[in-house]
Amino acid sequence: MPAPVFPHFTAPSSTSPAYTAPVTAPSPDTVRLSGEASSGGGFQEVFASAIRQVESMGQDASASVERFLSGDGEDLHTTVLATQRAELAFEMFQQVRNKVVNAYQEIMRMQM
Amino acid sequence: MSLFSALSVGASGMAAQRARAELLVENLANAETTRTPEGGPYRRKDVVFESASTASPFSSVFDAQLDSPTGVAVSDIVTDTSDPERRYMPGHPDADRDGYVAFPHINPAEDMVDLLGSSRSYEANVAAIGAVKDMIQRSIDLFR
Amino acid sequence: MLDRLAGQLEQYMDLLSTRQKLVASNIANADTPGYRTRDIDFQFELQNAVAGEPQTREVAGLQMKNDGNNVSLDRESRLLAENALRFNVAANLLKVQIQSIRSAIKEGQSS
Repeated sequence: MPAPVFPHFTAPSSTSPAYTAPVTAPSPDTVRLSGEASSGGGFQEVFASAIRQVESMGQDASASVERFLSGDGEDLHTTVLATQRAELAFEMFQQVRNKVVNAYQEIMRMQM
Repeated sequence: MSLFSALSVGASGMAAQRARAELLVENLANAETTRTPEGGPYRRKDVVFESASTASPFSSVFDAQLDSPTGVAVSDIVTDTSDPERRYMPGHPDADRDGYVAFPHINPAEDMVDLLGSSRSYEANVAAIGAVKDMIQRSIDLFR
Repeated sequence: MLDRLAGQLEQYMDLLSTRQKLVASNIANADTPGYRTRDIDFQFELQNAVAGEPQTREVAGLQMKNDGNNVSLDRESRLLAENALRFNVAANLLKVQIQSIRSAIKEGQSS
């Protein structure tokens, strides 16, 4: 097993921005996951694409159900699988979102 | 094309074989019938099968025209028009001037074999409907 | 998600479905004069994943009856049972996959 790597801390000098800039606790509605934040941009994109994927699966499922009900010859197992996929994708997304919100809230609690 | 259409196909097969069996039974019952309301002996009847597209009541107009699967239908019932069989039976109430009686052209053994075949085909259609229904049920089971 | 896992199984079930429909047609037309048995080349369609309907073709090596019909009820009955069984197996495999994904999601819920 490789030796654990510890983050390297150095005490900021008295002239660095960390000392001189006003300290304000950011409120949740002013925080933006902007592209400039270290990992915020990448994560926002992942989130957005996940939302898009869940939605497209939902649309596929709805379309499949509609084709089945209107007798257009859609196989039942195709419809079942489409709805299951959409349901699972949504459930997974929900869990991820909950975790993200929880983690964020935890960080917010820490930041004092 | 949904599996449901295969149910219609099986049903058409059952209906066709039943019609066939009914006629075969009628032939067998009338194998010796020398007198009918139309006059003359009973004449053998036979079904003619034809492939037919089957559209279920649930299929859309689009699907019914495009790809409905091939079932079967009775396209015609043919009556035997050949000369009847003549047997010499002078004392018979239906005997003609020369003492001959006209009998139907029916070979009971042949029609019995046909009836067995029809029954077997009927059972096969029943089995087909059962198997398809089972597959549909499996798909439903995927929900939970 | 589920696409990579279930995609092939779903295609398998699609083909079995199509084949079973043809078997039902063959059985219904077992006594239709001039009717030829129809089938799909299962392995070919499975490996080639063609979009749209699989190609229906006639079957070689069947005995022709006097009226031009070549349906063998033995063959069709065998295929009927086989298709239904395979479909059953595929459905069960899919069910297991779906359930395991679902339980994995639920497990992550405890936090």
